[in-house]
Amino acid sequence: MTDEERLQEFEARIERGEKIEPGDWMPDEYRKQLIRMISQHAHSEIVGMLPEGKYITRAPNLRQKLVLLAKVQDEGGHGQYLYHAAETLGATREEMVDALLEGKAKYSSVFNYPSLSWADMGAIGWLVDGAAIMNQTMLAKCSYGPYSRAMVRICTEEGFHKKQGMEMVIRYATQGTPKQKAMMQDAINRWWWPSLMMFGPHDANSPNSPQLMRWGIKTKTNDQMRQEYVNELVPALHVLGLSVPDPGLRYDEKTGNWLFGEIDWDEFWRVVKGDGPCNKERLEARRKAHAEGQWVREALTAYAQKKAQG
Amino acid sequence: MDTQWSRYEVFEKERLDWPHRNAGSVHAPDGEMALLNARDVFVRRPSCLSLWVVPSDQVFSKTAQELAEDDSWRNAPAQAGAPLEKYLAFQKQGQRAGETFVIHVGEVEARSPAEAMSRALETFSHDNAFVWWVCPDRAVTKSDAEDAASMFEPARSKVYRQPNFYRVLTQMQQFKAGLAFIGEDEE
Repeated sequence: MTDEERLQEFEARIERGEKIEPGDWMPDEYRKQLIRMISQHAHSEIVGMLPEGKYITRAPNLRQKLVLLAKVQDEGGHGQYLYHAAETLGATREEMVDALLEGKAKYSSVFNYPSLSWADMGAIGWLVDGAAIMNQTMLAKCSYGPYSRAMVRICTEEGFHKKQGMEMVIRYATQGTPKQKAMMQDAINRWWWPSLMMFGPHDANSPNSPQLMRWGIKTKTNDQMRQEYVNELVPALHVLGLSVPDPGLRYDEKTGNWLFGEIDWDEFWRVVKGDGPCNKERLEARRKAHAEGQWVREALTAYAQKKAQG
Repeated sequence: MDTQWSRYEVFEKERLDWPHRNAGSVHAPDGEMALLNARDVFVRRPSCLSLWVVPSDQVFSKTAQELAEDDSWRNAPAQAGAPLEKYLAFQKQGQRAGETFVIHVGEVEARSPAEAMSRALETFSHDNAFVWWVCPDRAVTKSDAEDAASMFEPARSKVYRQPNFYRVLTQMQQFKAGLAFIGEDEE
């Protein structure tokens, strides 16, 4: 078979809804794009542990502490599922971790923003995990077997992340003291635009999207998902007496869409390129964790060697 | 540069009436630690009876596509004097979201991975077999049935990991219907 024939058969398989498994023929570009997407996704989960990890020691009561611990622990596990999926395509764990620690790998920019109060835990859970769930639900149907299976697993576990966020937002917005309500509104104000940015650039500026759609990796465009997200969140926040920080927000009777103001794309690209409020801090935290964990890795290796010698 | 740890495929048995299913992989210095890592990565939710881990370089795998295109792997010579031993066989039998796991289907006896694959192809049904794996049983580290309670039980009590622990959907419905009072200055 020529490469052209192989490509046609590959695309026909995807069209038929078949999963591509490790060992099946795939275009180099499919492999490369997936390694890039999946490893970035994995890095996002690991770095995403940091803004919330900061508040584990600051939880207001034991129940909240246990819930936050469980959420952060899940995110570590999700990173593991995703590194595994990328490894089935030929990437190695060492290459991926090194790329992150050297500042060469990207991860979701939303985690380059700081968490400034306990109320952020609610805002992050509902807004950030909520956006992630939309993306992940779509990816659970993707054409690459190991990625799709990892996403199904993640979606099942992510459900509680969004709900614990909603529970917190509802509590402070409807039963909180005036100070608590103000703190919750402030958290929403700071996390709203970064959450919208999670859906990526406008469709017109997203060059990979058509290819990704033809290969069954993406089924909805960035703008489509962003609009669905806004339509779900705005009425819910309004019902709770909260607002979103967008003077351009208005309801369009004809389409049923909540139309929103323009994202600050300068800020978006600056943060993506490394100049956000916490990029440096996040990278330093990961490097420190890696360096300080060295003795654990060495000890486990030594223990395994000793056991093997009997 | 760090010492590389081997990669282990992880198989999880979630229910008595389900076979072991490939959940993913972990890295570890040996099988015992791979089992512990597998528990931490894959068993945060309470539904596991048994875990198996096997070094990924001990797994000989072929997709249906590979099998259709190339037979040369059958000619790989077995090592002289290699003993007959038990190999575990696995298949991926579906394409729909819920079915796309590589699952344990049975055992064969063979003197090499290639021979085990041939035996598996003769023994198990080809209906909907999209992926085939074999690995020697001796390379597998299995969780101890006696340890199952202490290994997996802690996950059961952590109910706050389940979405149905949170009443938020009911609460939101009540607010939307104007049934719950949104106070201005409670207490």
